[in-house]
Formats: sequence, structure tokens, C-alpha cells
Amino acid sequence: MSKIVPKFQRRSFLKSSLATAGAAVMAPTIIPSSALGRDGAVAPSERVVVGGIGIGGRGTYDLGCFMEQKDVQFVAVCDIKEARRVAVKKIIDDKNGNQDCAMIKDFRELLDNKGIDAVLIATGPNWHATAAMTAAKAGKDMYCEKPCTKNIAQSLILAETMRRTGRVFQAGTQRRNLPHFAFACELARSGKLGKLKKVFAHPAGMQAMMSGWLIPETEPNKDVVDWDMYLGPAAWRPFHSALLDGFNFEKGGGFVGALNVENGRKIMGGGVLEWGSHCVDLCQWAVGDCPPPVEYNAPKDGELVARYENGVELIFREKGWIPLGSCPVRFEGETGWVEAGDSGKLVLSSPELLAGRTVQEIGGYPATFHVRDFLDCVKTRGQTKGNADAACNAHIACHAANIALLLNRQVKYDLAKQEFINDEQANRLRSEALREPWRL
Amino acid sequence: MNTLTIGNEIMIQNRRSLFSALLRSTLLTAALVSTQTACGQKLTPDRERELIAVLRSNAADNEKAMTCKKLALEGTGEAVQELASLLKDEKLASWARIALEAIPGKAADEALVKASYSLQGKLLIGVINSIGVRRDAAAVDSLKIRLLDKDSDVASAAAVALGRIGNSNSALFLTELLGTAPANVRSAVAEGLVVCAARFQSEGKNADAIKIYDNVRTADVPKQRVLEATRGAILARNLDGIPLLLEQLRAPEKTMFQIGLSTARELMGREVDQSLAAELDKAAPERAALIIYAMADRSTVDMPAILKAAKVGQPTVRLAAINALGMVGNVSCVPVLLDIAGEPESELSKAAKSTLAEMKDAGVNNAIAERLPKAEGKMVATLIEIVGLRRIEATQELIKALNNPDKGVRGAAFMALGNTVPPPQLNVLIEQVVTPKRAEDLEAAILSLKTAAIRMPDQEDCAAKLSGASNTATASTKVALLEIIGAVGGKKALETIEQAAKTDDAQLKDVSSKLLGEWMTIDAAPVLLNLAKTGPADKYQVRALKGYIRIARQFVKNESEKAAMFSNAFESARQPAEQKLVIDNLKAFPSIETLKVAVRIAQTPELKEEASQAAIAIAEDKKFAGKPEEAKDILAKAGIVKPK
Repeated sequence: MSKIVPKFQRRSFLKSSLATAGAAVMAPTIIPSSALGRDGAVAPSERVVVGGIGIGGRGTYDLGCFMEQKDVQFVAVCDIKEARRVAVKKIIDDKNGNQDCAMIKDFRELLDNKGIDAVLIATGPNWHATAAMTAAKAGKDMYCEKPCTKNIAQSLILAETMRRTGRVFQAGTQRRNLPHFAFACELARSGKLGKLKKVFAHPAGMQAMMSGWLIPETEPNKDVVDWDMYLGPAAWRPFHSALLDGFNFEKGGGFVGALNVENGRKIMGGGVLEWGSHCVDLCQWAVGDCPPPVEYNAPKDGELVARYENGVELIFREKGWIPLGSCPVRFEGETGWVEAGDSGKLVLSSPELLAGRTVQEIGGYPATFHVRDFLDCVKTRGQTKGNADAACNAHIACHAANIALLLNRQVKYDLAKQEFINDEQANRLRSEALREPWRL
Repeated sequence: MNTLTIGNEIMIQNRRSLFSALLRSTLLTAALVSTQTACGQKLTPDRERELIAVLRSNAADNEKAMTCKKLALEGTGEAVQELASLLKDEKLASWARIALEAIPGKAADEALVKASYSLQGKLLIGVINSIGVRRDAAAVDSLKIRLLDKDSDVASAAAVALGRIGNSNSALFLTELLGTAPANVRSAVAEGLVVCAARFQSEGKNADAIKIYDNVRTADVPKQRVLEATRGAILARNLDGIPLLLEQLRAPEKTMFQIGLSTARELMGREVDQSLAAELDKAAPERAALIIYAMADRSTVDMPAILKAAKVGQPTVRLAAINALGMVGNVSCVPVLLDIAGEPESELSKAAKSTLAEMKDAGVNNAIAERLPKAEGKMVATLIEIVGLRRIEATQELIKALNNPDKGVRGAAFMALGNTVPPPQLNVLIEQVVTPKRAEDLEAAILSLKTAAIRMPDQEDCAAKLSGASNTATASTKVALLEIIGAVGGKKALETIEQAAKTDDAQLKDVSSKLLGEWMTIDAAPVLLNLAKTGPADKYQVRALKGYIRIARQFVKNESEKAAMFSNAFESARQPAEQKLVIDNLKAFPSIETLKVAVRIAQTPELKEEASQAAIAIAEDKKFAGKPEEAKDILAKAGIVKPK
């Protein structure tokens, strides 16, 4: 497998959320007012023309964030489901006040459109990596929902492809652009918690398993749902309507799927990867976006402990969280700790860590910042916060943890070779063939 | 939707067909062995033979598919032949390749190559893709043949697979074809070549890589391939790539300029920084601005060049440079940025202030603090603003500035003190609110005190100081102080606001009942209940009751406690609307306890019908937390029956 080559440094030109907390009104934009028309409209040369691929529930939220931006022109929607094409076109047309949004069934047709600069990929996880890499090769920048990859090999190829093609990639890890999470990560990274010892991620379900094959149902007409296209890179299986909710779609013909058993309910598609691609991603940020852990232990008492090369532990933990909403993370250093969650709140070992700020002042949602970060990088060609290298590392950590869960034993990972050490079973789980004709 | 777990295989069914699914899924998966059990154990030859036998048998497709997965995890060369036999099966080919891609050894390689001679269309493409993934060098000649396939998709797959294999032969074959391949294959040929060159580059064979990159970037291939090759050609040349980099930054075409921008961030060396800096004077302002952002993203930064760009020139470029200094600037940039910040209000002055607030260099704090006592004119307000934004300790200077004749300076000082005043000096702000020296400053003083108060580490001490101050304050100031006390929170704050709520002053009652109604901790519950029970029947009493119910809803998790609070609320409700509110809340939290409360309320004749309906709704709610039999029993004993 290919090595991860450290990529260039990213210094977001946008003022960091940490520094601008309380001073947000002063944060400048990269577009000077001279680029704006008299009515504040964005000049055509400054617009980013965007198309959407597979806009479902989550994608509709993302779409809203895109449509809020004055410099976005959303022109096309692509979906294999007719009902979604029509519904999303209506959202876009209503917002734009016209009937111009194109409806496309095959995303390759959308990618062939030279007028489109960037795409929003919000299909089910099965398609994320394949669509992202096809888009990159077609010369499009992309905002790609998470989880971005299905296995370790895809994660590496994703980073390599984005580097080689020079495309701007933003994973849908919007918490990297939420001030309170950014603040917590900065505390960990900058040594304000003392020497970092442990970072905790909430995986929301820690059970990995092989995916299966469902009871066949009558396949709908291709115009209504193109099942073959929906399966795409996943190994063939008969039509089943339950799989049409991309969120619950097994990870392709995948080796490592996951099961969420929280709240007594069993849901496919959750588990270490589903939430880990957020929580572990934040942990990765807290440890300075270093390569993923090198050792993953078998789960014990609701915890899976992984270890980075420098000894810091990444702990996937089901319970024991301060109630701060979904996606909690906790960072512990020798002298302090911080815990944050989706409520937008932080709990800290000492108020001094706030350095005179208040938690409310640091702020939490909305997630629009992440889309803005993407659009700005499309213009500057800089690195997004959820860039492909960062996404690659976080996803590898999740996939490796899933493999330890599936095998129910410790696995050790060689970062130089990008393979498990003396562990053929684990190594075989690093990748998986795509269904023909798809390739990465 | 439900999921069924059988062994560790999962079947998903809609709720409506759950039962039939159970039956059928048992049949479908009966032959499957739990992979969980198999994981971590060495596959025995006997067990592998059993799995191979499944592939050979007339087993259903799903069974063969799952068998492929097991073999992918643990199969050996022994299983290859049977797996390869599935490569012509449209449904199972991809499952077979999952195993064939994973099984190490020549047997799988050879089986894939062999299959490539007999298959066509998508199935052939799949096999070629797998050969590429396995990087089978021995397959280069067979792929070469496929490069010329009439099916352009097959030829394209072969080109990319050759690129992935990435040896000198594959580079040779692809190069030969670059100029002659049909237009719809050329993009893949170029892709294969770029991938191949990237491998050469990673192996230190830069000269070979450059040759390929140069071939591709000058060929008639899609623009994206040219961009990739151009990037590679620059990076593979190292510092010798600078002229090519600059060529892109000067290119009229936007996409070439853009690849120049991203590659400028990747190419290492001080000489690159110097070249980029020199380019600033030559580029159009819009481009120069983007080059500055690229310069700031580099690990080696030519800061003097960025600083120079911030000082003078086109506003677009200056704005970019000022922003960039926020990321890379240090104390040496302070004088220039302060000059800009002191300019008449503009995008540039705002950006400069923001950058001064953001720069990470700790030395900036000293530089700002040192300048403040000596500052004159507009610079005083500017410096104070930065002090506030950076939270620099400069309390005495800020207090002094509260007496400045310039309102703008005083306003900035209030803002800065709000962000920085330490606990011992909080009284300064309290004094400014209680006995303002200038009426026009009162609003700023109140905001400043609120900002300061809510970040005080000792909540109780802060609330006590504010509470003490409110005793001597005017009526309107008392209201402001109560609002600040409410924002601080804590025991003392609650006590102070409760007292205010019990006064006869309508203004104080109004603000305190609002604050209590929004209180964010459970300890306000008894205070609110008391006010609801004992207060006169007015709007403040209703607010207290609603506040109490809100706390029960939001903060009480225990079902019994929640129901008891709703019961208390009902007892305190004076008007039918409030009683109805309680009943509605009971329905929102269906449990045995809330059911009992609803049944009890149903004994009140005028509420009998409404409460009975609520009781039935609770018992029938999908989320009902309790035993249905017990609920039935409670309803029956109370004589509550569902109307037919």
C-alpha cells in the first residue's frame, strides 16, 4: 500500500474560531467589497458553481448551508431516485426563484459538465469514496459527506488522489469548524492541558460484523430507482427497499460493517465508523493531526483502547460521558482536561483554561462555517479543515478499530508500510474489491 | 425498520414483514457459519474444503456470496479455482473478486489474468481492475493487449491498471499509446501515466517521472490530466521546477493558475518563497492576493514580503496580506498593523484589528500594552480595542480611560474591561453602573459589567457583590442588575431574584419572574412552586407555574419525580388554562406515574373528560414506560374506558 506523504501545512486564512471568539464581527472575508456589486451580489467571476450528488436528509442540510452563501450558484442535482431529484430541484429552484436546476440520473453526466466547479456528495456511504475520486479525476472540487471511505485502502487512495489531482476536498466533518470543538482541540494541541495523555471518542455502538444479503423484493422501474447504479461499487445483491436509506446501507459487500445497539435499538451502518469519523476525527485534530494509532486492543468493558506512536491513548468509549449532547470528545493531559459535545457546551477541569472567556462566548453551531471554509479554499486552493489527509488518518483509525473489534483481538499497525504487523487476517481486511466497472 | 441478527450475519426487514422475514432469513442463512467465530482462528484445510464445496454446489447465490467473503478473510490458493469460476457470473463475480483480490500468491494473479482472456464487457473490466489493485507485474503483457480493445471502457481500465502496476514496461506501453489512443481512451492513458510517474517519483526516479509528466502535459488530453501532470512536473524537478511553477501563476487560464497556487504550497525551499514574493509585483491584484494566501500556507514564510504587501498597494492585495499576517505574523508586524488599524474605518482597518487580535505570538501582548500609556488621539481607542480582543491585562490603563473625554475611547474601555477585569476590580464596573459618571455611558457600563460578571470564577461572590449593590441602586438600575445577577446564576443569585419577585414593585416582579421562568438549574423549582402557590393570581403567578413545569420537563429525568412535580403544578394551577397545560404535559411523558396523576385529576368533575382522555392517551402511547397490564388495571379501577 502507498505511504502517506505529509502534505503541506494548512494555515486557514479564515480567522481561527479560537481567536475570533467574541470578535466574530470583525472577521474579514477574502472577498473585498470591490468584488461585490452595488446590491451586494457576488460578481460572476467570484461565484462557485455547484452540483449535488445524492441529496437525501443530511445532504438537504448541507444544501441549505451552501444555498445560504452568496457566492454559490447551485445548478444541478443528481440522484438515482426520481423522487429525490424532483424534491431537491424544487428546493433549489424555490431558493433561486427560477426553474433552472438540472435533474440528472447518472452522476458522471453531471461531472462532465465543464461549467460546474464543485460538487456536494451526500449519497449513502457506499458511494462516497468512489464518487469523490471520480469527481476529482473529472476536475471537480468536492464537499463529501462522511464516512468518506469503506476501508483503509480507500482512505489512502483518497488522500493520494486528492493530492495528485490538486482538487480541494472537504470531508463532512463539520465539527472541525465549530468554535467550541476547535477550542477544545486547541487546548489539547497547544499543551494547555499539560502533556497530552488520553483522547476519548464516542463511537456510538461498538460492534463490527460482516455484512449480509437481504431478502429479495421486486425491483422498481429504473426511472424510479436505478438499483444497479445505487449498488454501484458494492458487491451485487438483490433489491431491497430497506437498503434505499443510504444511512443504513451496509458498507458495500463490506467486511466490516457495524451495529449500533444504543437505546436498545439495532441500526446498521452506525458503530465505530459512523460516529468515529466525527469523534475520532476530532481526537486526531487534538493530537495535531498526526498519523493514526499504531496499536488497537480488543474491546473490554465498553472501551477499545488504541495507542498512538507517542504513547497517547485514543479511547473509544461507550459510557461515562458528561451529558453534553451527541458526539462527545474528551481530552486529558497531565494538568487538565476538557470535554465537549454537540450541545455547544464545554466542561473543563479549571475555569482558567477559558482564559477569561465564557463557554457561551466561544459558541457552537451552526455548521455553515464548514461549507464556507470549503468555498474559500475552492478560491484560494488552500487546504480545508476536513482535508483528505486529515480524513484519511481519522478513517484509518476507525477502520483499524473496527478490524480489532471484528477479530476481537489486538492488532498492530505499521505506519510506514500502511499494513498490520504479522497479521494476514487484519491485512486482508484493509481493502475490498469494487463491483465492476467501478474503480478508484 | 428492524434488524435481525443471525449468528453475526444481518438481515434487515421492514416491520410489516418481520415475521415472514424471520422464517425466510433463517432459510437463507442456515448454511452460513458465524464469521465472528471464524475470525482470529486459522482456517483448517477441512474447513476450506467445505467452503470450496459450497461454491461448487447448487447453493443459493447469497450463500455463495457469503462464502466468498469468508474465503477472502482466510482462503488460500486452494480456493482460487472455484472462485475464478464465478468471475463469469454477473451476480457473483464481484463477490469472487473480493476474495481473489485478498488471497495472496500467484494462483490468484494467474486466475485473474486467465479470466481476462475470456471475459468481456463489465466482467472483464472488473478483472482488469483487480489485476491493477494487486499490481501484478506479470500481467503487463496481457494488459497491453487490452489497451487496444475495441471497447473503450476495457481499454481505459487496462490503462489505469498498467499505471497502478507502475513499472518501466507499463510506462513504455502507455507512452506509446498517448498520442494514438482514441480520444475516449486517452484520458485513462494519461491517468495511468501520471499514476505511474508518481510511483517513479516516490522511488526517487525523478528523471523518469519528469519525462512522463512532460509528455502528458503537452499531449492532447483532458485539462484535468494536464493539471495533474503539470503539478507532478513541477514537484519532480524540485527547485528546478520554479520556472514552471511561475509559468502557471502567469498563465491566462484560471485552472492553470489554480494548479500553480496549490503546487506553490507543496514545493519546498526558500527560493520558492523568494520567487513567489517577486511575483507579487508582477501579478494582477486578484492573483497577487491569492498568491499571498499560498505564501502564508508554506512552512517557510517570507514574512517581510507579506508585511510589505500589507503596507501599500492595491486594497485587494493589502487585505490578503493583512489577513495572512493573522496566521503567520509576529510582534514585528505590530507597528504596521496598528498604523492600518488607525486608518479611517474601512475593510483594511477592520482586518488589521482582527489580525492584531489573532496573531499567536505572545510578544504582541507586551507590544500593545507598552504602547497604551503613551498613545494619543485615535490610537488610544484602537489600542484599547485590541487590548480587549486579546484580553491583555491592562486594568489600570483601562480604568483611567473611563474618564477620557472621548466617548469612543470610553466605550472601548468598557468593552475591554468587560473582557479583562479581574475579580478584585469588578467593583469598578459595578460603581459605573450604580453611580454612572455620564448617563450616556450607562448602556456600555451595563454591558461591560454583564460580560465581566458571567466570567467571574467565583459565581457566589460575584452574585453577592451585585446583590449588595442593587440595595442602593435606583429602580431602573436594580432591574439591570437583576438581569446581570440572573445571567451569573447560582444560589445567591436565585435567592436575590426570589426576594425581588416577592416585592410589590411591578417592575422588579416582572423582571424577576421572567428570569426565574428561564432559570437553567433545578434548584429554582421550589422557588417557582412557592411563588405559584402563594402569589396572587396574576401574570407573575402564571409565569412561576409555567417555569416550574418547564423545569419538570427539561431537567427531571426520574419519572416519579416528574409526575410528582406535575401533580404539584396542578394543585397550584388557578385557571382552567393552566390546569389544561398540566394535563397536556402529562400526556407528553407517558408513564405509570403520569397515568396515576391523570386518573387523579379525572376525579375533578369539571376536568373529568379531558383528564380521562389524557389517561387513555398515556396508556396507549407507544413510548409508554410501564407495563400495559398495570395501566389497564389503573384505568379499569378508575372506571375510565375508551369511548367506542
